[in-house]
Amino acid sequence: MPSSISHSDAHKAEVRGVREGALPAGLRQTAANRPGQAQPVPTRDIPTRPWVKMGAFVLAAVALLTTAWEWTARSWLGLRAGDIDDSPQAWAEARRAADFAQVAIVGDSRILFDTDQARFQAMTGVRPVQVSHVGTDSRALLEHFANDAKFHGLLIVGLADTMYFGMPRVGLGGVAIHNYAKNDKPAQLTGLWLDRWLQNYLAFMDHDYRLSSWLPRVDNGWRKGADSPYEDVWKLSEVSPGRQFFMWDRIEAPGYLQSHARHAWQGFDGPKVPPYVVDRVIARSAEAVRRIRARGGDVIFVRPPSAPELRVNEQKRIPRKLGWDRLLVGANAKGIHADDLPQAQNLVIPEYSHLSRKCAAVFTDAYVRRLVELTPRLKLRPDAPPPLSRADCVPVKIASL
Amino acid sequence: MIFNSLTFLVFFAIVMALHYAPFFSWHQKKINLMIASYLFYAAWNPPFVILLWVSTVVDWWAAQWMVRARRERTRKAWMLTSVVVNLGMLGYFKYGGFLMDNFVSIAGSLGIIYHPPGWDIVLPVGISFYTFATLSYTLDVYLRRSKPAGSFLNYALFVTFFPHLVAGPIMRPTELVPQFDAPRQAKANQIAFGLALLTLGLFQKVVLADGFLAPVVEAVYDAPGKVPGMLDAWVATFAFAGQIFCDFAGYSTSAIGVALCLGFAMPDNFRFPYGAVGFSDFWRRWHITLSSWLRDYLYIPLGGNRHGQARTYAALMGTMLLGGLWHGANWTFVVWGGLHGLYLSVERWLKARFKGFTPGRASLLGLALLTFVLVNITWVFFRAKTFAGAGVVLKGMAGMQAKPEPLIAYGPMIIAMVIVSAIFGTHLTMRNTTLEAVIERTPSVAIAGIWTMLLFAVIVEQGQGSAFIYFAF
Repeated sequence: MPSSISHSDAHKAEVRGVREGALPAGLRQTAANRPGQAQPVPTRDIPTRPWVKMGAFVLAAVALLTTAWEWTARSWLGLRAGDIDDSPQAWAEARRAADFAQVAIVGDSRILFDTDQARFQAMTGVRPVQVSHVGTDSRALLEHFANDAKFHGLLIVGLADTMYFGMPRVGLGGVAIHNYAKNDKPAQLTGLWLDRWLQNYLAFMDHDYRLSSWLPRVDNGWRKGADSPYEDVWKLSEVSPGRQFFMWDRIEAPGYLQSHARHAWQGFDGPKVPPYVVDRVIARSAEAVRRIRARGGDVIFVRPPSAPELRVNEQKRIPRKLGWDRLLVGANAKGIHADDLPQAQNLVIPEYSHLSRKCAAVFTDAYVRRLVELTPRLKLRPDAPPPLSRADCVPVKIASL
Repeated sequence: MIFNSLTFLVFFAIVMALHYAPFFSWHQKKINLMIASYLFYAAWNPPFVILLWVSTVVDWWAAQWMVRARRERTRKAWMLTSVVVNLGMLGYFKYGGFLMDNFVSIAGSLGIIYHPPGWDIVLPVGISFYTFATLSYTLDVYLRRSKPAGSFLNYALFVTFFPHLVAGPIMRPTELVPQFDAPRQAKANQIAFGLALLTLGLFQKVVLADGFLAPVVEAVYDAPGKVPGMLDAWVATFAFAGQIFCDFAGYSTSAIGVALCLGFAMPDNFRFPYGAVGFSDFWRRWHITLSSWLRDYLYIPLGGNRHGQARTYAALMGTMLLGGLWHGANWTFVVWGGLHGLYLSVERWLKARFKGFTPGRASLLGLALLTFVLVNITWVFFRAKTFAGAGVVLKGMAGMQAKPEPLIAYGPMIIAMVIVSAIFGTHLTMRNTTLEAVIERTPSVAIAGIWTMLLFAVIVEQGQGSAFIYFAF
């Protein structure tokens, strides 16, 4: 009987398993060459090369190249260290934190960009947990919370009408929910913390400027009918701790990136939302609201603003009367529509869909003041900052128009 | 924990520091490695460490009692205990839902309506890999190919050793346990070469598989309701051939590099498989440790080629069908395995029919191309989640879709095809050599330059920490 795993073989030369220099013919035997027998300790060849010197060269060269790339990211691309990116793991972390939160926000990218958490906290003393997700139908997130017996707080549901009523699929929020358990595991969370720590020092770590993100963008629609990466939504935001999204300043400034961002929305054009879909969405929303209230929680809907360039198509596809107004009645819920907030009119929406960084604070100020009137769960602090107005965020030149 | 994550980099640095710390004995270093391996596994889902313990303890004692048994029936009983426990765990976690769904379907077709509660069981990462690794231990002892390991620590470390734990290469105890007997310290050049292999593996996974190939595959395979034409269907399938190779071979290369840094040798798992001429050649090059495992513990016990033609073909088909099922609890994987079984059977028949045929250079290239194309057809069933989905892609590949839509933009398509062509060309030219032999013939400046570019590309790509495809198997 072969004894290849007994102690007696321990010091045989072949047990070392590592061999200096490649075999002359370059052909090692593998298990494929040894049928029906105990496989011996494999042999690994180390090519005769100055590996240590080469390793030192590689380290130095990569350090140099990375420094050059970091410089490019900061000076040419306008990226900033401390912009910590969002990730499925970051969403999972926020979702976990929302379990016992007093106030959580779910929704699509509009409420994500348009809520200034610091302003919210300064006004109410409560920092909301931001669980919204870009490119999603908020209803999926609302239902996710409705199914979570641990949540008893106030859920703010931000929505863009066409996304809430008219998305053919749940979108990226559904993916985040599906992968929630997986992304909440120790390996994922430690990866998230390390990633964040590094991003505090390195600007180039931005998923929108990965090699495979920007290289295919040279194809600016070469093939008619195919989804070109050029047509995708590129980097729009900067993210700070707590998943605080704000508009990236390069999008706020007029130029190529702003024009591209506007172009990427394609006017929110699309077919009208059929009435039966609206009925179904309202019924499911009502059931989710009922379940949250049944265990002591509450839900308030918020509709952030959009620019007239998009609003016209949003109204065509799902008019406010048929969508938003019916939703509040059908779900027996309270809501805050941007149209009804005098301070939130004609704010700066650089790429037509999300507010500028400064205007996000103004909108937050406006909707939180209304929010405290609608729910006893939040109160304005006695030392809350004074109200903001359009003048606080709209450049003087534009404001005077 | 996955190799392409920041967590792993920190973990690996700590493991290396402990492994090379002068104040630990070899015994303590092995304990350190085992604790590290458990942490590596627990980082996914801590409770599943229990499965590893069960598998380790059951197989250790089964082998111990097997050698102490005086009667053949007792030996067999201990072997069967090991097989039942290991395959039972695998069956419950991996195939429970699949079996239940099929049972419900069959019952329904007989008019019996049965609504079982949902089979909401999470698949433990790597269970298919470590189940096969530990099974080979008891089976080798039962088949008298080897003696049991002399030390429980060495055996437990073999089961859990983190480089191979979750996605192979599927190691046999005879390959790894002896390496734990004496202290192992890699020399500086071995560590540097190990790091170069780790870089190559990460480049394959992070940059090629996840960065450039996956989006092209997803544009066709994950686009329900969309109808691909001939160009899109073939490009997406070729891209998947590249993606699955770079993903899995990338993992194996990284694992070999990591083990090398610690002073251990792991076997080759891939040998330029797309340069294969014929399917038996393909399976000597693709996932070598699985195909040889199936050959040694399934094909040969089923009779192999020792009992006439009919039995050989049956053993071949049976092995490949089960090999397909090993990859996932879905009939599409069974069809994938069945197609390979069919290819192997036809090739076997042709070889017997044309015994004296020796291909020239041109025929060799033609046969390699044919092999590659036919392998790609099997990938459709591997990648599509349903037969309907596979049908849509196959129909597209045959140019039979009435109203196909353009699904892949030219930019990503060109990049993907350049990568796949490079992979195919490399495999074809290197089919009779090894990476190490080629490196030895290449100037150091060129190697250092390539290594730099690979590492820089990994850093610029950043990666999203997505799991390796084979983790799901």
